[in-house]
Amino acid sequence: MSRAAIFAKIESATSSIKEKAAYPDYDLSIVHSLPKLKGEDLWDIFVHNFSYVNGKAMTSIEQLSAFLLETKQLHGYCDPALYDTIGSKLAAAGLTVETEYHRDRYDEYQFGVTRATGAIAESGSVIIDDDRTSHRLAALSPWVHVAVLERSEILRTIPDAIAVFGDSPNIIWCTGPSKTADVEGILIEGVHGPGEQIALLV
Amino acid sequence: MIGIQPIDQYARDISDEKQASVIDGSSKGTDKRYTVLHKDYPDPDKIRKLAASIKDHTLHHLEHYLEKAEKSLIARGVNVHFASTDEDARQTILSILRSHGVTQLTKSKSMAAEEIHLNPFLIENGVECLESDLGEFIIQLDGDEPSHIVKPIIHLNRRDIAKTFLREGITDTYNDDPETITRQARVYLREKYMQAQAGITGANFVCSDTGRLALITNEGNSRFGMAPVPVHIALVGIEKVIPQEKDLAVFLNLLGRSATGQQLTVYTEFINGPRSANQPDGPEHMHVVFMDNGRTDVLASNCKEILRCIRCGACQNVCPVYRQASGHAYRSTYGGPVGAVLSPILFGSRFPELADLPKASSLCGACNEVCPVDIPIPDLLLRLRDKAKRESVPSAGAIPMSPFAHLATTPSFWRTAITMSKAMNHLPIQVAPIKPLQDWLGQRTLPEWHGGDFRKWMKNREKAKS
Amino acid sequence: MATQLQRPTDKRVLLMGTCLCDAFYDDTAKATVEVLEHLGVSVEFPDNQTCCGQPAFNSGDWVASRKVARHTASVFAGNLPVIVPSGSCAAMNFHGNLLQFEENPDKSIDSLANRTWEVMDFIYNGLGIKTWAGKFTKPTRIAFHRSCHSRGTGSGEATLKLLESIENVTVAPFGQDEQCCGFGGTFSVTFPHISGRMGSLKLDHILETNPDILVSGDMSCLMHLSGLARTQGRPVEHLHAIQILRNSLLS
Repeated sequence: MSRAAIFAKIESATSSIKEKAAYPDYDLSIVHSLPKLKGEDLWDIFVHNFSYVNGKAMTSIEQLSAFLLETKQLHGYCDPALYDTIGSKLAAAGLTVETEYHRDRYDEYQFGVTRATGAIAESGSVIIDDDRTSHRLAALSPWVHVAVLERSEILRTIPDAIAVFGDSPNIIWCTGPSKTADVEGILIEGVHGPGEQIALLV
Repeated sequence: MIGIQPIDQYARDISDEKQASVIDGSSKGTDKRYTVLHKDYPDPDKIRKLAASIKDHTLHHLEHYLEKAEKSLIARGVNVHFASTDEDARQTILSILRSHGVTQLTKSKSMAAEEIHLNPFLIENGVECLESDLGEFIIQLDGDEPSHIVKPIIHLNRRDIAKTFLREGITDTYNDDPETITRQARVYLREKYMQAQAGITGANFVCSDTGRLALITNEGNSRFGMAPVPVHIALVGIEKVIPQEKDLAVFLNLLGRSATGQQLTVYTEFINGPRSANQPDGPEHMHVVFMDNGRTDVLASNCKEILRCIRCGACQNVCPVYRQASGHAYRSTYGGPVGAVLSPILFGSRFPELADLPKASSLCGACNEVCPVDIPIPDLLLRLRDKAKRESVPSAGAIPMSPFAHLATTPSFWRTAITMSKAMNHLPIQVAPIKPLQDWLGQRTLPEWHGGDFRKWMKNREKAKS
Repeated sequence: MATQLQRPTDKRVLLMGTCLCDAFYDDTAKATVEVLEHLGVSVEFPDNQTCCGQPAFNSGDWVASRKVARHTASVFAGNLPVIVPSGSCAAMNFHGNLLQFEENPDKSIDSLANRTWEVMDFIYNGLGIKTWAGKFTKPTRIAFHRSCHSRGTGSGEATLKLLESIENVTVAPFGQDEQCCGFGGTFSVTFPHISGRMGSLKLDHILETNPDILVSGDMSCLMHLSGLARTQGRPVEHLHAIQILRNSLLS
């Protein structure tokens, strides 16, 4: 009922438009922010923009384990596929690392290590694609989210990242830690999701 | 009849504290937006005009793109519904919830849902429905209404919120530190996310080529709300459709910068179907409800450009009238300049009651200047003033204009009146029994009348030359 | 609407004096004539002119305002540039009129739209005069309030550049300069409280910068702001930008 009614009303409304606007022919470079794209190396550009949104970029597991120990985020989850390369080393550094995420204990994980499936240098965003991430919740409920990133997966611009959406039903770009400014415009991080967003380059 | 306009009355009655919150919040937003947009782009106007033309193209071919979006979504296993009216939308959502046996859900911020007062309806029908955006959560606890599109509690300060949290048992000790307030909400809400059986969201854009919904939040509430639940329902205005994914780059770059001065909002999520087979978290069922609720009437009107709106709130931030009166003064879901155009025509049956909204503007054009989709808001306000006059909607404080038109088209009368106006210098016009004149003169000192002096000077000059 | 470069720039022009200059601010209109003549432009003042029609137009009474617009278009018929010392009256001619005649376009209205210049825009962009060879004897601090109706036109930039180029003049920046002064014609009458508050805020920002003179391209903004300032006991000297150009030639 509603469907037919809506389409009939749209057709009646649009049929009276004298000059219908054509789809503009445009080059996506118009939305590239050149000041944000300064530099050659995509990781360097990413780090610059990721730091601007209060993300922490790291290049070694030692750096990560030192941060977690120092901030007392001692118990976490690691994607089983990343256990050998990362999780086991965190465990060796004295952290408790689980490779299964139990929903009933959602509040016990202080950190979550999951795969980023890409990154956007221009905006400092980490990309998480449903098809290749082990648990959405593991990137969301812990205070610290560690997105593990490979150099070859970094994309230059926002249009580049849209062009590789592919077939995944769910893709998310995370541009820094969860934040709000609802209370008097004051920036507070870690509202519902992570208060620390880390990108770890492997 | 000469009286006081409702919005002016609202601005008189508003508490100093509330007004200070609104002025401060909106001015900050304006400065930040300006800095970021102009730092990143040499000519933001070009991008605004491009965005406007993509939106106009889509709206002018809406039947094509809406149908395409529908097909794309169905092909991806999404259930697509259509709702003509607010009541249709509420009933559609309720029946989806009932079919999945949902009794508890969380909802991320959606202007479309505000528009149809979805929350109270679901609660009346036995579904526990909790707002998860921090600001909207506080609004729900207070039984209040949002007063800004992206900063729903711009009218509150930390003390107001701390009192609410104490009163509603979110905490048992008063603490008005914003970080503490946020942590209290974090603990409370994540428990609710895990208990819920469904998540309701809006959508910022729907790409017709793949059906992808773009959904943005800073807090991550919609992502969290949907991760543990089996059912996702998105309520989407039919004007949210855009031709293709490629166009997202234009709109996303404008939306974050215009709304909050961010290049991108923290969580930008793209969804076109139930979760992947190998993903343990996320809905197995996805429903999209495309809602009309007056949009086709707007499309048929001479103010259709307002449907370009991407709900960034930049026009509210910069609007001097909004700053003085607050969003609540506009008495509808949408306040500020966008609301002054949209509300009277979207809620068409309320036109006579909301016809004062388009008059509450000095037509300063700051709204158009900041609009990321270049909506000519002052022109639309003027068209609505014309509509109100043509439809003889009574207006408080309106000054009859036909005597003016007569005077201004009869040059001899005009010259005489102007010359005689000098007599006003000697008349106590401030005591004339005309309320608006008294108000006006109560606040201002008029300059001295020099009626006709220029004309005389000009004549003498011409004489001297010849 | 014709772009600036397409509008006529003849050395013979018609002056649209505006109703505010007619009733109160004769010196602003005189300054307009004097400055234009100084630039070798001959100025004619059609005697049958009245008002641009904004009060009726902005109130939504387009039947009344279309009548006034037709009258104005006939008074200023022909091919000569129409020069207006007011951003808002100029915008009425080249924007507002097109809006109220959009359903039934009128050639005389289009012609007026395509020939109308705000005076500072005419000098800077029309005549191509990019610096003003005038001076003040004393260092003078000017607060320049861009009138809202010049948004999106060349007037704001033109005025700023010309003022800045005058010897001994400093244009002092002030906070929230994008904000409207709150006049808005009939708006100030129907929304007196909001209008007054907007004006007071504007004055706060302007006076904070300690200007010697408050300058604008619209006498309506200045009437509102100076009127509020006087009633509030903080009067401020105020002049139209064209008066500054003229005065800088005298000293």
